[in-house]
Amino acid sequence: MVNNDLIVNNPLRALGLEEKAEKGVQSMGLVMARAGLGKTAILVQFALDCILQGNSVLHVSIGESVEKTRAWYDDILSLLTEGEKIEMIPGIMKNRMIMTFKEATFSKAVLEERFDDLVQQDIFRPECLIVDGYDFSSNDKDSLEDLRKFMDDRGLKMIWFSAVCHRGDDRVSEDGVPAPCHDVASLFETVLLIKPAGDEMQLAILKCDSSAVDPNATLTLDPSTMLVKKS
Amino acid sequence: MSQDLSRVRNIGISAHIDSGKTTLTERILFYTDKIHAIHEVRGKDGVGAKMDSMELEKERGITIQSAATYCTWKNIDINIIDTPGHVDFTVEVERALRVLDGAVLVLCSVGGVQSQSITVNRQMTRYNVPRIAFINKCDRTGANPDKVSEQLRDKLELNAHMMQIPIGLESELEGAIDLVTMKAVYYDGDNGEIIREDVIPADMIEEAEDKREALLEEISMFSEELMEAVLEGGDVDVQLIYDAVRQGTLSLEFTPVFIGSAYKNNGVQALLDAVEQYLPCPTDVENLALDLKEDEKEFPVSNDPKDPLIMLAFKLEDGRYGQLTYVRTYQGEVRKGETVYNNRTGKKVKIGRLCRMHSDEMQEIDSCGSGDIVALFGIDCASGDTFTAGSISCSMTSMHIPEPVISLAVIPVDNKAQINMSKALNRFTKEDPTFRTYVDHETGETIVSGMGELHLEVYVERMKREYDALVEVGAPQVAYRETISQRAEFNYIHKKQTGGSGQFGRVAGYMEPLEEGDYEFVDKIVGGVIPREFIGSCDKGFKKSLDKGSLCGAAITGIRCVINDGSYHNVDSSDVAFQLASVGAFKEGYLKAKPVIMEPIMKVAVEGPSEFQGAVMGSINQRRGMIIGTSEEGLYTVIEAEVPLSEMFGYSTTLRSLTQGKAEFTMEFATFKPVPKSVGEDLVKAYQDERKNS
Repeated sequence: MVNNDLIVNNPLRALGLEEKAEKGVQSMGLVMARAGLGKTAILVQFALDCILQGNSVLHVSIGESVEKTRAWYDDILSLLTEGEKIEMIPGIMKNRMIMTFKEATFSKAVLEERFDDLVQQDIFRPECLIVDGYDFSSNDKDSLEDLRKFMDDRGLKMIWFSAVCHRGDDRVSEDGVPAPCHDVASLFETVLLIKPAGDEMQLAILKCDSSAVDPNATLTLDPSTMLVKKS
Repeated sequence: MSQDLSRVRNIGISAHIDSGKTTLTERILFYTDKIHAIHEVRGKDGVGAKMDSMELEKERGITIQSAATYCTWKNIDINIIDTPGHVDFTVEVERALRVLDGAVLVLCSVGGVQSQSITVNRQMTRYNVPRIAFINKCDRTGANPDKVSEQLRDKLELNAHMMQIPIGLESELEGAIDLVTMKAVYYDGDNGEIIREDVIPADMIEEAEDKREALLEEISMFSEELMEAVLEGGDVDVQLIYDAVRQGTLSLEFTPVFIGSAYKNNGVQALLDAVEQYLPCPTDVENLALDLKEDEKEFPVSNDPKDPLIMLAFKLEDGRYGQLTYVRTYQGEVRKGETVYNNRTGKKVKIGRLCRMHSDEMQEIDSCGSGDIVALFGIDCASGDTFTAGSISCSMTSMHIPEPVISLAVIPVDNKAQINMSKALNRFTKEDPTFRTYVDHETGETIVSGMGELHLEVYVERMKREYDALVEVGAPQVAYRETISQRAEFNYIHKKQTGGSGQFGRVAGYMEPLEEGDYEFVDKIVGGVIPREFIGSCDKGFKKSLDKGSLCGAAITGIRCVINDGSYHNVDSSDVAFQLASVGAFKEGYLKAKPVIMEPIMKVAVEGPSEFQGAVMGSINQRRGMIIGTSEEGLYTVIEAEVPLSEMFGYSTTLRSLTQGKAEFTMEFATFKPVPKSVGEDLVKAYQDERKNS
């Protein structure tokens, strides 16, 4: 299967986000869900989409191992391509780098240092950043604003975060973004929420500045693969 | 050795290099009364540890070959295989794990889970080996067993829980609190041989109670009885806890963690108790054999000494007593003087002498039964052969043997060395399936190939020391491969009619890339255009052509040759004619099929202080390496990358100077990938120059 087929078949195109990446519009996105509902699977689909468009993606995983993060890519790609191995598709390995941190060691300063190391030595020039496992409960709005500034300074096209929301916490922002991100919702252009609905999983678009979708639209996910179901 | 299999443990001791596993084995032998004095690995007395019996091992302070030994602890017979820690010798580790029922994963309390621990753990998982962990070197500055235990969970994804908590750490290490019996255990006497149990120090009672509660909560998942007892409150029967931990360990769902310092004689006896309590006996694990009469259908071995014999040769050694073959018996019994069958060769073999090995000493025995690990004398076989009683035809599951990735030319200095070298190579290739040798017909040089620089270095050294074979070695060469990238057709006529009987054969068809496997021959001849008796000749001709590709002289792999047409002559066609026609056809097709050179790519893990991360990544990048990821854990970072082997020569020196000697790296073969165009052109040019000059 060639890259073009994969891009066309990637149902996340439904969000119309590829236009922004192509035009170089900088944006921050967030995928929220309760623990274990598939945030990483969605982030990895975004990352693969970016990579297949020729962008370099730095996947920062907080609290996970490199091996496990790699396995996500292998699994998702295999599902998207009906069994293709990641090594067989040119450019994926070359355009992806995984960086993992312990919860306690991750900070904007450390990320900045590592990021600049890569760029200055011409090892890897990330264009998109995935931050999986960022602790929104312990970090305040300033830290996130710092990361937004980091994106602007380094010319990153997009950053995607994942966040865990909890059943018992009812706080929500004006746009309907649940805690613990309700206070920082204004910093994100796109916010998605994964929620179970009967036998299905739904990806609700709480907020999206893309003209391609309705802000209140919902995509259906296949619960066994976490891929968006083709309509 | 007792016949009651429930009182037998076949265990391995595996770890990252320098985690102290040989020291640990030395202590185990001492406490089980197998040796009467302790000698350190790099001790001042110059004796060296018992298990490092090879001269070279004692000198370098690392274990090269695994030596087998057995000991008895509290009525339990324990067979121990001491396995090497360096990644170049992983075939030894894998072979040991294949025949063992359980393992002890040794970790350094300072270094924690290191790259080789990950490899070893992966291997244990591959062979479903239940394991217990021992956090060694708790007397060292910076010791942090809690952190290591957490790494076992995070990095190795084991459900690991401490069964003890240390009393004091670093230079103040005194003993440990046993969370099952809730007693403090100290090791007194000159060699820690006196075990003293005491009450828990007052300032640690609360911590011990909390940790015990957490432990009970975790292991109650494996025993309903224990869960009920925990829910009811009050005292919990210690045996219930032992049983639940054993259940969890055997099902690979739980890893009990023990702590201590082998060097300081602290905690080893508790580990031996754990081996008895938690690791499986031969009947607890299911081992599968392949039935050769039923298309290699898998069937479980019975472990019953009354059933027909099944025995696997997992290691050969040329020791001072002649050739030794280490075997593991899976079912049945074998006695001195009996005849068994080698299922690979189909030959009958008489068992002359049976011995139980204790490193380089031996104890002669009359018989061995199911579950035993013993050594046989004077048996001609290769590593991995299965012996049976003859009434059944089976083979134990094949072992995973990686392809060699590096080669060296070895040139004997004189005639005597030449003879000795042949003997040595003959022995080494039988002992170690990852060590191969062949003669390059163009240069006449003997080439040895293996899994890494150190791997080959050790064999060259052994040739000198054990066989008195003085050899000169060439520069290490990467084992490149050639393959084709597209389908191409061939149609070749081999015709020779110049005096004497003529030769005629025409072979036509196509070749195409083969995704899995090295070579495949497909016969699509219809109507007898090539007679049946010459089809095999065509296959032979193609196979001959695979030895050396025309780009850089490397072996050709990943190719399917299909013949679908041809012609013959009633008189002039022969086996040789069709072989030569196929060689010609291969040459014709090969160049049209866009051949490419493939190089071995190594999976490299560099572990070092985070401050050097940038420099290390730069060094990998300069070596055409592709960084897969970095994982930062406080002060230490592990960088994982894939780097061509040809770029890794001398990397240890570079890494040392870049990181003030604070980082280390391990590498193992990952895959073959096409070389970049510029590198490929250089290789082709070098090969052409070499051919011109020879």
